[in-house]
Amino acid sequence: MRQKSPTPPYLILTFFRWFCDPRMAEDIEGDLLERFEIRLTTKGQFRAKLLFIKDVLLLFRPSMIRSFQGQQKLNYYDMFKHNITITFRSFLRQKSSFIINLIGLSSGLTCVLLILLWVNDELKTDRFHENSDQLHYIMSNHTDASGTRTWKGTPGLLLEEIEAQIPEIELATAYTDTHEFTISTKSETPISLKVEGKFASDHFLSVYSYPLVRGNASSVLANNSEAVITKALAEKLFSNEDAIGKTIEWHFGGNKKAFTISGILENIPSHSSEQFELLLPWNFYHDELITFKQWGNYYARIATVLQANANPQLVTEKVDTIFKNNLEDTNVDLFLTPYSSLYLYGEYENGIQAGGRIEYVRLISFIALLILFIACINFINLATAKASQRMKEIGVKKSMGASKRSLAYQFLTESILICLIALGISGLLTLLLLPGFNQITEKEIALQFDLTLVLSVVGLVTLVGIVAGSYPALYLSKMEALSILKGFKLAKSSGGIGRKVLVIFQFTLSTILIVSVMVVYQQMQLIQNQNLGYNRDNLIYFEREGKLTDQSDAFINEIKNITGVENAAISGFMVGGLNSTGGVAWEGKTEKDQIQFWEYNVGANSIDLLGVEFISGRDFSEEFATDQDVVIFNETAIKAMGMDDPIGKSIVHYTGNKKIVGVVKDFAIGSLHQDVEPAIFLNRPASANLIMVKIDGTSTARTLQEIESAYAEFNPEFPFKPAFVDQDYQALYSSEQRIASLSKYAAALAIIISCLGLFGLTAFTTEKRIKEISIRKVLGSGIWRIVFLLTKQFSALVAIGILIALPFSYWAANRWLNDFAVKISLSWWFFALAGIATLVIAWLTVFGQTFKAARLNPANNLRNE
Amino acid sequence: MGKHHLGEFEEVVMLTVAILHGEAYGVSIIEEIENRLKRSVSMGSLQTVLKRLEDKGYLASELGEATSVRGGKRKRFFTVTNLGKEILKATKDQRMSLWSAIPDFA
Repeated sequence: MRQKSPTPPYLILTFFRWFCDPRMAEDIEGDLLERFEIRLTTKGQFRAKLLFIKDVLLLFRPSMIRSFQGQQKLNYYDMFKHNITITFRSFLRQKSSFIINLIGLSSGLTCVLLILLWVNDELKTDRFHENSDQLHYIMSNHTDASGTRTWKGTPGLLLEEIEAQIPEIELATAYTDTHEFTISTKSETPISLKVEGKFASDHFLSVYSYPLVRGNASSVLANNSEAVITKALAEKLFSNEDAIGKTIEWHFGGNKKAFTISGILENIPSHSSEQFELLLPWNFYHDELITFKQWGNYYARIATVLQANANPQLVTEKVDTIFKNNLEDTNVDLFLTPYSSLYLYGEYENGIQAGGRIEYVRLISFIALLILFIACINFINLATAKASQRMKEIGVKKSMGASKRSLAYQFLTESILICLIALGISGLLTLLLLPGFNQITEKEIALQFDLTLVLSVVGLVTLVGIVAGSYPALYLSKMEALSILKGFKLAKSSGGIGRKVLVIFQFTLSTILIVSVMVVYQQMQLIQNQNLGYNRDNLIYFEREGKLTDQSDAFINEIKNITGVENAAISGFMVGGLNSTGGVAWEGKTEKDQIQFWEYNVGANSIDLLGVEFISGRDFSEEFATDQDVVIFNETAIKAMGMDDPIGKSIVHYTGNKKIVGVVKDFAIGSLHQDVEPAIFLNRPASANLIMVKIDGTSTARTLQEIESAYAEFNPEFPFKPAFVDQDYQALYSSEQRIASLSKYAAALAIIISCLGLFGLTAFTTEKRIKEISIRKVLGSGIWRIVFLLTKQFSALVAIGILIALPFSYWAANRWLNDFAVKISLSWWFFALAGIATLVIAWLTVFGQTFKAARLNPANNLRNE
Repeated sequence: MGKHHLGEFEEVVMLTVAILHGEAYGVSIIEEIENRLKRSVSMGSLQTVLKRLEDKGYLASELGEATSVRGGKRKRFFTVTNLGKEILKATKDQRMSLWSAIPDFA
């Protein structure tokens, strides 16, 4: 074995090569090495190396350093020009793969662009408030035996206490969720509208940054008879007149009150998660309107602005202490959370922030990147597959002295250029698709060019260009000039394996997406058809206003006569529940039994109308005079209270002693994400603010029209605006629906792009094997045999892809389904179907090509040579 | 001849190149100087001077044949040009005239 002689320090030598003027580099390097070798024998290895380093360092002086300008710059420019020319020529020469790449990359980029806009929009939501960093929201954790539930509600009484007692709180405001109210004006042409409004305390407009066009933010809501409306609403109500000082009449249920307009808001930006048109004074709501002003009722939303240096944790403790001083023996904890994070991280699990919309943001971004990656794979595959056609070019260039690096640059130029063209196309596509996209996502995204967006797009395109181009660049540039020009083909295995892996990967991703679409679709179907414990079909409701508050019985009797109306009743049932209370006591209740009940104020026969089944007992009825003092619970509530024979027993509600007359089967309070929770029905028609009507659904439009005309007779000054319970229910799943439709498009896109790539590859391989096919035909092989032969290889790849995809998709589907209380069972045929679908699509893609190749006349292909 | 002035080290290098007569390249020049004058020379300063002298036209250089030693790198051989010879002679004459002008040198 020959012993390798010591070499000079490599790093130092590289350094020398880097800095030294290329005109002198060779001979000086030679000198350096010669001296090193001499010193090795005379002075030993260590000293030789040390002296070598010294020599090199002493050579590092201005006269030795290469120039960085001049000739070389010109050369770069020329090479760049040359590369672009070559790129366009190769595009022209390989039209099919150019077009496949272009379609793939531009649809991938369009997808990413749209998602980028969407993500950008999501991230901006609720972050426009000036106080954003100090803005904290008070939330409540309700703990009982079954766990902790987190709500946005807090007792309204808290506001004054925290303002007075906690110095770290600079500003605080209490307000309600947005509710639909009727507003009318008493001008010559009276207008009456349904508007989205909320009650808000005087600091609301200082805490949040909803700018006023007119009026002073700190005083507009201070007076109990003054209201603020948005510019758009002002235009609707008063057209071009000045709205300030004008009077509007507000109606809600049986209440009405005149308000003077004291301020006009800019229209609420779409980046606000709160959307409203009307603000009414909180004090009016708190002091005059509601009856449940207690520390145990969580009817208010409270937001605070902390001092810049305040510690939110400390403030949380102070708030919670104040709360507990006022309400002893509570199982509720209050805490502060940053307002800006609520939109994306609004979900809580056992009192701990557990994601929310951000998961969908991540998921969708991930899918978009996957699609783009699939398109990149096409580029890589086609470029390496077509390498043989460009070998002569590479060989000639290499023998003319092109370095590996300059060839790599050439291929990178090619891929970045095609990405830029694709970017242009996808820009146009994005513009075209944006309206449709906005519809699916329910957003108002416009293509605005701000710096971050432009930078991220340019960065993305460069990145895609490099990712897509790097493999071909490295692969093609490393080939040996000599062997290429001598006519050796590329070794068959090299590149082939990489290509196969990439095809497998593409189809793995496609299959995962197909399975996801199927699972999401099935689950949504299940949810649509799920028995919720009440019958939501053909159930409409509308607000009790004006005369409907005191003459509702007459109205109900009248509409019951309309053909198509099956039943009608006063109700307070809302999908998702309205209020919840802990103010229920029963015999045997201990301190630990802190149960929150969903509270429904309803009228007679309304539970029957809903189609909720009774386990025992009966519905509220007008036939019993004593029925204002009875309640009905659901099964879960009875179980939670631990009652054995509930009918006839008494409980203490915060409105008085009540007797239990009925127990109903559990029904879904809100979406099927939630488990069933305890619920209590109270017979309080006066507080139930809806009229619910069951129609038979045979001619909905006509029935609605007749109800409307009956309504107009009773309430001419109020607009009739019925809502459908099943639509409310659907709305609970809007984000899932959105995911369902987006993932449908994503899966379709992924499989199309994958198939395009497969198409390109098959076209290429069949072309390469055309002589083999011809010879086989001459020797007697049939068409189908040849088709089979050509399809076999791809089928194997696709099948492997599918096999890899199945466990992944099973895992992903399971994880997604875990969020639902009711879920489909994942049966094997889902996966089988998805796999077969992928395989069949792949076959169809390949079939045209292989069939054509198999049918060619062998004589044409074998004639020459 | 005022502007054609040789520095001390420049003169030493040019003379050494002349002595080596066609065999003058980086390493041999250094070794020759070290052997004859017992002074150590760094490659950096030598190469700088060689480059400067070549730019002035006093030295010419050409690359030799590649050999298997010294990492296969070629040597750059330096020769003194005619201009260089003239400068050397002129420098010598200057020195001699100075020497001869000394009245009494013990």
